[in-house]
Amino acid sequence: MNGQITKIAVIVLALPALLLPGLGLGYILLMGAPALSWEFIFASEEGSGFGASRGIFAQLLGSLLLAVGAALVATPFAIGTALYYHLLASPTQKHSLNALFNMLQGIPPIVFGLCGLIVFVHMLQWGVSLASGAVILAAVILPMLVLNSVASLERIPVEYTDTARSLGLTYAAVIARVWLPQAWSGILTGLLLGIARALSETAPILFTATVFSGVVWPDSIFAPVTSLQTHIFYLAQEGSSEQAIQVAWGSAVVLILVVAAFALLARILSRNASPQSNSSVGEK
Amino acid sequence: MLRFWLTSSALVSGLTILVVLGFLLHASWPLLMDQGLAFVSEPEWYPYEELYGLAPVLLGSFWSVLLALLLAIPLGLSAAIFAAELMPRQMRSLIRFGMELMAGIPSVVYGLLGLWILLPLLENQFDLLTGRSILAAGLLLAVMILPTLMVFSEEAIRSVAREQREAALNLGLDWSARLWQVVLPQAWPGVRTAILLAMGRAMGETVAVMLVVGSLDRLPDPLYNLLQPAQTLTSRIGREMAEAAVGSVHWAALIMCGLVLALVAISVSLLAQRQKI
Repeated sequence: MNGQITKIAVIVLALPALLLPGLGLGYILLMGAPALSWEFIFASEEGSGFGASRGIFAQLLGSLLLAVGAALVATPFAIGTALYYHLLASPTQKHSLNALFNMLQGIPPIVFGLCGLIVFVHMLQWGVSLASGAVILAAVILPMLVLNSVASLERIPVEYTDTARSLGLTYAAVIARVWLPQAWSGILTGLLLGIARALSETAPILFTATVFSGVVWPDSIFAPVTSLQTHIFYLAQEGSSEQAIQVAWGSAVVLILVVAAFALLARILSRNASPQSNSSVGEK
Repeated sequence: MLRFWLTSSALVSGLTILVVLGFLLHASWPLLMDQGLAFVSEPEWYPYEELYGLAPVLLGSFWSVLLALLLAIPLGLSAAIFAAELMPRQMRSLIRFGMELMAGIPSVVYGLLGLWILLPLLENQFDLLTGRSILAAGLLLAVMILPTLMVFSEEAIRSVAREQREAALNLGLDWSARLWQVVLPQAWPGVRTAILLAMGRAMGETVAVMLVVGSLDRLPDPLYNLLQPAQTLTSRIGREMAEAAVGSVHWAALIMCGLVLALVAISVSLLAQRQKI
């Protein structure tokens, strides 16, 4: 009898959590759908109109540039670190690297934004720019990429490495011929998830990489860009007109779709590569 | 050559965190020189008069995170129990998929939802001038950390060994006794980690909070008044960073907010890691 009551209580408490994703997503789509059209996505307006009037092509482009830039910056470090972890690190080093990355992952993105503002925007004089934003976002996604690459390296059966070593291959050759071919899909999955993550961050680029409007294609990597995330933020904050809010919801739908596309791609890739994928290490 | 690449990238990635802390400390130094450590508990934040008290934002962050956890823990944990213990397999993966979708929604979109749904609702319910308040921030944060809480708790609950459950079943314990006396105690370390992760996430959330919290730099009156506009550590940084002159004491004070945030986040993640071992 008591068991029944507990069961019912659990189910009742669980319901909101189970219904929320559907409701929230449905509401966003409902609000955003009227704004969507090819023109909305592919038109861009230079200079005038305060961004609230027409297309969001420039913002979409800026978001993608920032996220892909972040992935490009972070990848060599992530793979290098993962290989170091797998190949050279002593148990103590492994332990402390694990601890450091878990800590790094816990640091709020806005803190990276602040630090980037100090170091890149002002100290190195990069200004509010694509480069500053990409490096900051790279720091945000770095721990995730490292942990993911380590996990995919550790899934390689140890026999493969032993065999390759017994054939007299150097470690450089083992990495190039055995490890990377075996682990690339896991690493790429992590990269795609990293891009999706970078696309959904707003706070760290708010005052380090983006301006409100007026940029379609940045002149150099040291020029500011516009981004979908900050576009939504500005419109939500300032925009009281019907039109602005409409554009904000439309942008939200587009942003979610782009993020979901990257996440979905990662999912397909990881499903093809291995039956079970696990992105966390160090729990043994 | 290879060794150099591996070692240097490991050094760079490993030391990122120290570099971040170092620069933050360096940049907030002017405030420490100017005011000592007393500013932490001062109630007034008013840059034009050189008052940089942190008490309002600390309290704002504390209340919003606490509120979010109080709401999200029972709901998320129940959902995790429901999904792990009572649902057939296919349904469970569907729910998981839903949660992953929800976790993937960018925080600024949550902000938009909060602005559009939550604020009018609170305005009407509590007869407020605007709905912007700690309560709004707490509610929104609760929704945002729900997926984290649920996904990690569900994993913890499902990893409780089958033998343990069977033993409990053989003892004739009913469902709720099995849950309270076997499953939850066994899953607790994992659940605790989930809670700490969610807490870190709630504390560091910026744009969504900025949109609904109201950004008023004043201590609530009385201190537990959750219906007033307020400010959190993150929303203050986001709100004022663009306005502060580089190198000024105001700038240093904002960096200090970031440093406090980073230090608390590091403590939370250390706490979470200790539990794993």
